[in-house]
Amino acid sequence: MPDSQTQTAFRTRSRMTRRAAFGLFILPFAGTSLVEAKPLRIVSLDDGLTETLLMLGVRPVAIADREVWEKWVVEPPLPAEVADVGTLLEPNLEFLQQLRPDIILAIPYLDGIKPLLERVAPVTTIGIYTEEGQPLRRATEATRQVARLVGKEAEGEALIAATEASFQGIRQELAPLAARPIYVVHFMDPRNVRVYGRKSLFQEVFDRIGLRNAWTGETNYWGFSTVGIDGLATASDARLAYLEPLPEGAGGTLTESPVWNAMPFVRNRSIMRLPAVLMFGALPSASRFARVLAKAMTAEAARG
Amino acid sequence: MAEETATTLRDGTLAPAGQALPHGSFTKRPVGVILLCLVLSAAAIAATVSNLAVQLPSALWLQSLVAPDIEDMRQVLVHYAFLPRLAVSLLCGAALGLAGTVLQQVLRNPLASPETVGVSAGAYLALALATLLAPSLLAFGREWAALAGAFIAIAGVFVLSWHRGLSPLSVVLAGLVVSLYAGAIGAALVVLRHEWLASLFIWGAGSLGQQGWTTTLWLLPRIGAAALAIGLMVRPLTLLGLDDEGARSLGVPLGVYRFAGLGAAVALTAFVVAAVGVVGFVGLAAASLARIGGARRLSQRLVMAPLIGAALLWAADQAVQMATGPQGDLLPTGAITALLGAPLLLWLLPRLALGLEIPALTTERLPRTGRPGLVLAALGLSLLLLLGLALLCGPGPHGWTVAVGDQLQPLLSWRWPRVSAAFAAGAMLALAGLMMQRLTGNPMASPEVLGISAGAALGMMVALFSLSDAGRPVQTAAATVGAFAALLVSLAIGRRAAYAPERLLLAGVALTALFDALILVLTATGDPRAMLLLNWLTGSTYGVDANAALLTGAIAIVLLILAPLFMRWLDVLPLGPSAVQALGMDVAKTRLLVLLMVAALTAASTLIVGPLTFIGLMAPHLARRLGLARAWPQAAGAVLAGALIMVAADWIGRTAIFPRQIPAGLVATLIGGPVLMWLLRRR
Repeated sequence: MPDSQTQTAFRTRSRMTRRAAFGLFILPFAGTSLVEAKPLRIVSLDDGLTETLLMLGVRPVAIADREVWEKWVVEPPLPAEVADVGTLLEPNLEFLQQLRPDIILAIPYLDGIKPLLERVAPVTTIGIYTEEGQPLRRATEATRQVARLVGKEAEGEALIAATEASFQGIRQELAPLAARPIYVVHFMDPRNVRVYGRKSLFQEVFDRIGLRNAWTGETNYWGFSTVGIDGLATASDARLAYLEPLPEGAGGTLTESPVWNAMPFVRNRSIMRLPAVLMFGALPSASRFARVLAKAMTAEAARG
Repeated sequence: MAEETATTLRDGTLAPAGQALPHGSFTKRPVGVILLCLVLSAAAIAATVSNLAVQLPSALWLQSLVAPDIEDMRQVLVHYAFLPRLAVSLLCGAALGLAGTVLQQVLRNPLASPETVGVSAGAYLALALATLLAPSLLAFGREWAALAGAFIAIAGVFVLSWHRGLSPLSVVLAGLVVSLYAGAIGAALVVLRHEWLASLFIWGAGSLGQQGWTTTLWLLPRIGAAALAIGLMVRPLTLLGLDDEGARSLGVPLGVYRFAGLGAAVALTAFVVAAVGVVGFVGLAAASLARIGGARRLSQRLVMAPLIGAALLWAADQAVQMATGPQGDLLPTGAITALLGAPLLLWLLPRLALGLEIPALTTERLPRTGRPGLVLAALGLSLLLLLGLALLCGPGPHGWTVAVGDQLQPLLSWRWPRVSAAFAAGAMLALAGLMMQRLTGNPMASPEVLGISAGAALGMMVALFSLSDAGRPVQTAAATVGAFAALLVSLAIGRRAAYAPERLLLAGVALTALFDALILVLTATGDPRAMLLLNWLTGSTYGVDANAALLTGAIAIVLLILAPLFMRWLDVLPLGPSAVQALGMDVAKTRLLVLLMVAALTAASTLIVGPLTFIGLMAPHLARRLGLARAWPQAAGAVLAGALIMVAADWIGRTAIFPRQIPAGLVATLIGGPVLMWLLRRR
């Protein structure tokens, strides 16, 4: 069970160095932890690429916006040594330069500031979310690309294989529960949600673990659509999985409205609250999503 | 409507209550308005029936209205989502129409409305701030936060326009400035806080979606109470429409009723904003349509405007639902009405009698300095000191440092483009603002309100959303095209009136409102590209590289060299068109040339620091306060002051919350708001 690994990692942390604990968490499938003599100094400006790096056992020197990581990515935990270079759209260039990175990882979203970043260090742009969709396939390619970049091809293949294996395991585990479709949403406010569908990472995870997405409507190229809660009433046997973090002030008022109380998933009591998973993430987010969803579904099934 | 209550001044005499007026136009029923109301309602009913038919077979309509079957989701949605949404659209439309009419009456301003005097924006910002920074405050009731914001906003508008005797144009311009200011702070909250903080936008853009009758029941007593208060004040409010002398001679305590009327209108707006967010332009549209449609007397307008407002918002909301379908992507009705409202404002302009604006710049009794050279030298010296500070001092990973030796070269390579771009942009905006103020004779004029900045931003928006990977050069080109397109629109509108300043300013207001509405619609959909746009809107110098800085600097130098050619005109223009003609100058041609210069200055600087700075507004006043009165010294002083503020803003933005950055335009705005209030304070 992946969760027991996490717990082991947390438990051992007090007795070992952070990096060793981290290795234990990451590398059950990769053998020994290799700390190179002179590791690349990498600045990663995308959380999806950062989590991939961490899973490969590489610690970036800096990322953009630690606060976002702590709220939206959560796991794997970000080592305290990783510096914060400011917001995603305006990483501090003076700061960046003084960090003397060897390479900067960016995404197409940041093409506007690429010329500036290139003055600090060579920039590698890796796009996972594009007009074409298929973020999971692209995340797999991105993992290989990142792994090649840091000379950890074996670890990269291991991560891909482990992700695939965890999907297979969860698929079998959830097979008896897979009949009913599920909505995956973030609450924007008590009235509106962002629901994930085609072209989203969550959709592709659904396909791999044999679940049906209840949202079959339009989505933008980041894979979501913003609708009122009443937009989720089309499927009568659907469940609802909502992800943390909740917006300020929404939590307490969710249960008050008559429409909410009449929604099929409220009356069937099939609502699952999931811990935060980065919706624009890479393989680690994909398997984390599968994991937390499976945990919530089995817990619900056990309750009856 | 009781004709007997009519109290109207004609030929300087007051017709006492109880006497019907013999004049036909005063007793005629406002046929046009009633017709309009019927047509709108018919359209709304047709749309409602069609929308309802999509959701539920007609056999179940009555049941879902009276006693919905909770097991049937369709009936639940009709009873708890569709119907309350309809009720809320009617209530909010009526409230805004009423508020607009009362504001127009109290301020004696045919352009006043909750949206144009900044009340909606103020209420929205207060709620947004409370939601983000002190959610516990909202436990006391959302209306209190909204009310506080709305009153602060209108107080700000009064401070800004008091010295012009609250003239219609200056009130609307001050309202726009306050709205822009509130918008800038709102954008800053989002940029500085979180990437995915979209909820604020959905609500702020006036989404009427409901999930129960709570909002309706919340609104009903509050709107009812405010409407009752207004109903009790019909007679004193009618007297407020007279000139002060006439009303005072009747022994009406003007101040009391003016404040009470204003309070009721502001409260109505605050309730609507607290319930559904900003619903753009319904108040202005309803009040103006009632007036144009023939409802002359206040008592008629107080009845017809709410009816029209309700019908308008009802029809607009049903149309939005029809367009998106019951489960379509979210399209906030309030932003859509704003989109429709901006063209309406343009259409209204020639149809409103705004009265003559007398240029006031020349009548200001501000001290003049006898030694402008000394003042300019002091300004220049401070600028030099600041430049040194901005280039050499700043925090690094290990605390504050003064860049020397080896460090100097790499740090300077980042800092000089930003500092010089800020310098150039500040200088150009200041000059553009000075020219606008002298051209229009209006101290609230600035490049921002000309719509050019909004045009540049629109161009940028089109580039971001239509091209998949628009780099900086493409964005720059698109923004330039947008700026000049907006200028062409403004000029086309102004051409017939020989580029009369009031027309141009109001056209700019309409363009700016249109742009704001588009931004709201885009951000409400939560598209991550909207963040890119917001980031630029807040006026960051972050993306400026050496090439951009050199180009901007070159443009600035060329335009500043051209500036002396305009100085004689700028001395004369504030004296009014007749003075210009008397000196043998062609009024239209002079105005056109000045406008083109302003457009070039604004476009070049907007590309660097975004559309939301208040330098253009502030710097000329600052120079004037320092005693620089004639065009030449005032222009030089304004240019220096503009550069000074902008360089300081950029430096503060880079260093205050290192390694994060606050966009320079935003810092300038935050400094600028209070400074402007102080500069334009009542005197």
